[in-house]
Amino acid sequence: MLVFTRKREEAIVIGDGIEVRVLRVGKDGVRLGVSAPPDVPVHRREIYEAVRAANVSAAHAPATLEQIVGRLRRQAAPEQG
Amino acid sequence: MPLSIGTPVEEAPVAADPGVVTFPHGLPGFERCRRFVVVAAADLAPFVCLKGLEESEPSFLAIDPRRIEPGYRVSLSSADRRRLDAAEDEALLWLALVRVDGDAATVNLQAPVVVNPRGMRGLQLVTAESPYSAAHPLPER
Repeated sequence: MLVFTRKREEAIVIGDGIEVRVLRVGKDGVRLGVSAPPDVPVHRREIYEAVRAANVSAAHAPATLEQIVGRLRRQAAPEQG
Repeated sequence: MPLSIGTPVEEAPVAADPGVVTFPHGLPGFERCRRFVVVAAADLAPFVCLKGLEESEPSFLAIDPRRIEPGYRVSLSSADRRRLDAAEDEALLWLALVRVDGDAATVNLQAPVVVNPRGMRGLQLVTAESPYSAAHPLPER
């Protein structure tokens, strides 16, 4: 991780078009402004992390998904066993 | 669009793989898998499969969230709408990912996958406020 100390109104440039600027430093936290091209998603880390964790527990290897699909199909049509 | 005799090669449109949905930033947790297919089958309905074609080929069971929660409504931010290249009232495909734990299953209504069939682009919504659960129990089948 790259570590910077920035004062109010100072900024960091990432890649070729992303800027993170310190807008305000207060007792409730640091207010940050992010400028990025519209196609670049920007999220609060803990929100992104929650979705990441949910995806990881929902993801299967292709073979495992086939097993689950097979079970669902058998449940749908048990007489055709 | 197929090439026809006489189409100069430089003018031929580059068609995306038919059926492949592009996720420009993958999915959270699978950022390097940028290409997926949605596989539907009559005997699987109402579930579909969302299968990654790259990296570890992450594969998911999914279902339209509107089938789980009647009146399910999530508004797309203008940024997400732009990323999907979707017009204001364009019909989109909504897929909530299903987590299977033995015989129990839950569905993530909080972070649905949204696909624009026109243009075949997709993304997963990552939103701070949602009235919906990330682990809504599915009735056993």
